[in-house]
Amino acid sequence: MTSWIVFRREIAQFLTTPFAYVIGAAVLLLTGILFNRDLNISFSTKPADPALVPGILSFAMVFFAPLLTMRMFAEEQREGTMELLLTAPVRELSIVLGKFLGAWAYFTLLLLLTGVYQVILLSITAPDLGHALSAYIGIWLYGGATLTVGMVFSALTENQIVAAFLGMVALMLLWLADQAGQLFSNIDVAIIFRTMSLQGHFSTSFASGLMRAEDVAFFAGIIAVMLFITAQILESQRWHG
Amino acid sequence: MKRTDSASIIIRRRALGVLGNILGVAGVVIGVIGLIWTGAPGSTVIAAFVVGIGGILLWAVATPQEFAGFFSGRQVRFGTMAIISTILLIGIVALVYLQLLRAAWTFDATQATRYTLSPETERVLSRLSSPMRIIGFYSSRALTTREIDDQFFRLYETATNGLISREYIDPDEQPAIARRYGVQYDGQVFLANVRDDGTVDLATLARVPRGGAQERDITEAIARQLIAGRLTIYFDIGLGERGPLDATQEGVSAVFSGVQESGINARTLDLAQIAAQGGEIPADASAVLFIRPLRDLTDNEIQTVARYLEAGGALLLLTDVLFSEQPFLSERGAFNQFLLENYGIGALDAAVVDPGLSAQTLLDVISAYVFAESDIAARLDPAVNPTLFSVARAVDVKLSETPPNIATGRVIFTTEQAYGETNLTLLGETNTYQYDEGVDLPGPLTTAAWSTNIQTGAKIVLIGDGDFVANGRIVTTDGAVTVPGNGILFTDSVVWLTELSEEIDFQPQMYGQALPLIFVSQQQMDIIAFITVIFMPAAVLLIGIGIWMRRSRR
Amino acid sequence: MTKAMIEVTRLTKRFGDRIAVDHVSFLAKPGEVVGLLGPNGAGKTTTMRMLTGFLPPSEGGAKIAGHDIAADSLNARRNVGYLPERVPVYPDMTVREYVFFWARLRGQRDARARADAVIAQVNLSERRDTLIRNLSKGMRQRLGFAQALVHDPPVLILDEPTIGIDPRQVIEVRDTVRELGRTKTVLFSTHILSEAEHTCDRVIILHQGRIVAQGQPSDLKRKLRPDATLEEVFLSIVGAERGADK
Repeated sequence: MTSWIVFRREIAQFLTTPFAYVIGAAVLLLTGILFNRDLNISFSTKPADPALVPGILSFAMVFFAPLLTMRMFAEEQREGTMELLLTAPVRELSIVLGKFLGAWAYFTLLLLLTGVYQVILLSITAPDLGHALSAYIGIWLYGGATLTVGMVFSALTENQIVAAFLGMVALMLLWLADQAGQLFSNIDVAIIFRTMSLQGHFSTSFASGLMRAEDVAFFAGIIAVMLFITAQILESQRWHG
Repeated sequence: MKRTDSASIIIRRRALGVLGNILGVAGVVIGVIGLIWTGAPGSTVIAAFVVGIGGILLWAVATPQEFAGFFSGRQVRFGTMAIISTILLIGIVALVYLQLLRAAWTFDATQATRYTLSPETERVLSRLSSPMRIIGFYSSRALTTREIDDQFFRLYETATNGLISREYIDPDEQPAIARRYGVQYDGQVFLANVRDDGTVDLATLARVPRGGAQERDITEAIARQLIAGRLTIYFDIGLGERGPLDATQEGVSAVFSGVQESGINARTLDLAQIAAQGGEIPADASAVLFIRPLRDLTDNEIQTVARYLEAGGALLLLTDVLFSEQPFLSERGAFNQFLLENYGIGALDAAVVDPGLSAQTLLDVISAYVFAESDIAARLDPAVNPTLFSVARAVDVKLSETPPNIATGRVIFTTEQAYGETNLTLLGETNTYQYDEGVDLPGPLTTAAWSTNIQTGAKIVLIGDGDFVANGRIVTTDGAVTVPGNGILFTDSVVWLTELSEEIDFQPQMYGQALPLIFVSQQQMDIIAFITVIFMPAAVLLIGIGIWMRRSRR
Repeated sequence: MTKAMIEVTRLTKRFGDRIAVDHVSFLAKPGEVVGLLGPNGAGKTTTMRMLTGFLPPSEGGAKIAGHDIAADSLNARRNVGYLPERVPVYPDMTVREYVFFWARLRGQRDARARADAVIAQVNLSERRDTLIRNLSKGMRQRLGFAQALVHDPPVLILDEPTIGIDPRQVIEVRDTVRELGRTKTVLFSTHILSEAEHTCDRVIILHQGRIVAQGQPSDLKRKLRPDATLEEVFLSIVGAERGADK
């Protein structure tokens, strides 16, 4: 319930400040350009790739997620509202959950906007909608997970730039872990790294039209653990004054 | 070394306590997960528990007040609880993840059901009774490939309740094993039976080709493994046939090894010798193949074949137009008469000339019609993969007044314009032919036919061409298939004769088949580019600026 | 005797080796305005932060309206209205959105009506659709009061509410505090002695984390000499402390 109140403030903040629109426009411009490029390449040679836009977003979120979350706690710290939040009869986890849901809802809106590409494909060909849906569900969960990673760093530091930078580095590592096999000759080590990677639960399953329960569990687990850690960080700040 | 910098070895008790705390909880959590996962306390599980208990002891010794405080419910400082609860949460998440990984619940969202086993595969798998294993060799560099392949392999494992298992071996880590399997490339996949003790039976090892249709490749490999060794086909070599081991253009070594590769035992027999010694055609012969014998059968040999057929045997007879005395299946010969009387089919002493449909010369007969209701011709679409017989012999089929218990049918038909040139002497000597009313046989003519005895199960396929399966007609020197229809006709004849059709009946799923290509006009393309690259981002930006301007004036 | 709304027992806060608040104990009854007095760094803010549930105490404890701030933190927090030293605001929200948000978050059922009422109470009704970024400092201070009052808490904790605003507004704030003190328990900190003298029923003088004196302003003055100001009282106490330390 209190999460819902925090969520509403958070989503209102996204929708009333220009920042979110700038990010949204940038994402749409990027996906738009790549969508047209793919359309030109596949013209008369191959069927439409239903997972194209989710695939682009899977990389773009490495950079966009920290931008979306960097101000989340840093701004509250700077304005002092964090002190009010933490003295309101609300648990840290509720605050964290509400803020996450706000950012995730914003991301969901962005995803819905990219649905235009599917509509365009529908009007010119017959794309595999089931495949597309799978990729979209995948990137939706994936995006949620990247947002929570960004949130951890936003809670860790009051400096927005540092928060964004650390978030990007962390997500980049999680993204690249997929390629661990190129780095480690021991396949078991490589598998562990790939299991920890974001790509490893998206590119070969959701993005290719296969929904696997363990991938859902992975992203849900990342979201749960990261939100929990964020709440712990907030709580630890009480102890350090 | 006695001189130690004293500052560097001071480890704060607090840090030690935190370390012990983390190690303790993590060790215990990993141990519990390991125990639940493996179901038995293995060495890793025990090690984890030892580390966990050690960590807890360290925690208790390094920071006793905190340790006591934790258990009495009074928190001395923030951290202990946070660490424990975070590790516990991670542990629960990991456990759920691993359980779901094991359960392998998947949902195939693709239109072409790419991640669902086809009914054909399921039919093959339903016949599986002994364990098999898919063994993949992947180095860490091919990890993504392995991940993709694994999604297919585990469908098989799930569908067979584990009867088909998966094993992955890193060829870099275990080069000796890779050598024993004869691994040629990273990502190579094998299939083999599993012995009772759980080890792989290398004698049954088969390579799974890496092609575009993974499911078909795996399923066919399994199907082959299923029939492996159970069927035996004999190539007769006693009547001057084309040689099954002859690798020249004239030989039939390609089909001989093809049969072997599909898991069927291929052997040779000498009918003349067997008949002379008063023996029998081996009882394990699923089919006996006569690929263009030169001479006709003796009475003794006919008796041998007749007994074999009585016992439910199967014959594939490939006969050519021969310009010799007493050729194989001479129209008036005893063997041909035997076939006509008992099985309702026989050969005619006539070469097919088809002005309606032929290749270089009118004698190169292309299949005009096939009778798809028989399994033999089901895959032979004249428009897609016609057969090509160079000098074909007309075949006679009794479609009515068949002998008792006999069913017959045509396989391949010529056009209406075709005729059977009966003056073979002239044809042989001068290579001239023309239709002589009343003398030559009017078209359309049958060039391949089948017959079966419903009671005994005896089966015969008679094809009026002897060399359509010769190496030169099947593959070129660089391995490319020349006339696909010829290969299919041979394969499906064998499949029908050996009743393999009950076992291998597999229509491959082709990816992308159902999805249409994109065709758009340049104008449409421009509109799309405008909408996606200019209109949408600009609209979002303008809405944002608009809202912000309206609000900031407040 | 009426129940104490704020009950502080041996409240202590350590930051590492430094003791910020050192075994502080006091009571505050309903309808009482208690001034926390002391120079910067005396432990006023830390004490208040512990009472509002922002900081957990290292030792000792406190009860707000009967709820322990550690064991029953959420209920304790429900009964406190808190105005930190620097008014915390969301600059991109309007006055109304801001107050409404805190009303909802603190569990007010008729949040919209409560928000409007409290905005009227602090005389911001005309500016209620204004973005906070466009408010003057004094208005922000009033907004801070609105936020603290929106859930009608029995206990108000105000950290230096008069700092950094112009004299006319200071008088307004003092009047507001006295007004609120009739029905609520108000704990308010200041380092300006005259302010405490005019506003409080009782003052608690903190120095280096410890209570060095407490009582009615008049009593404290009487101890020194009848016409002394609180300033002189404070200086004499602190001076005595220094002397005693040495």
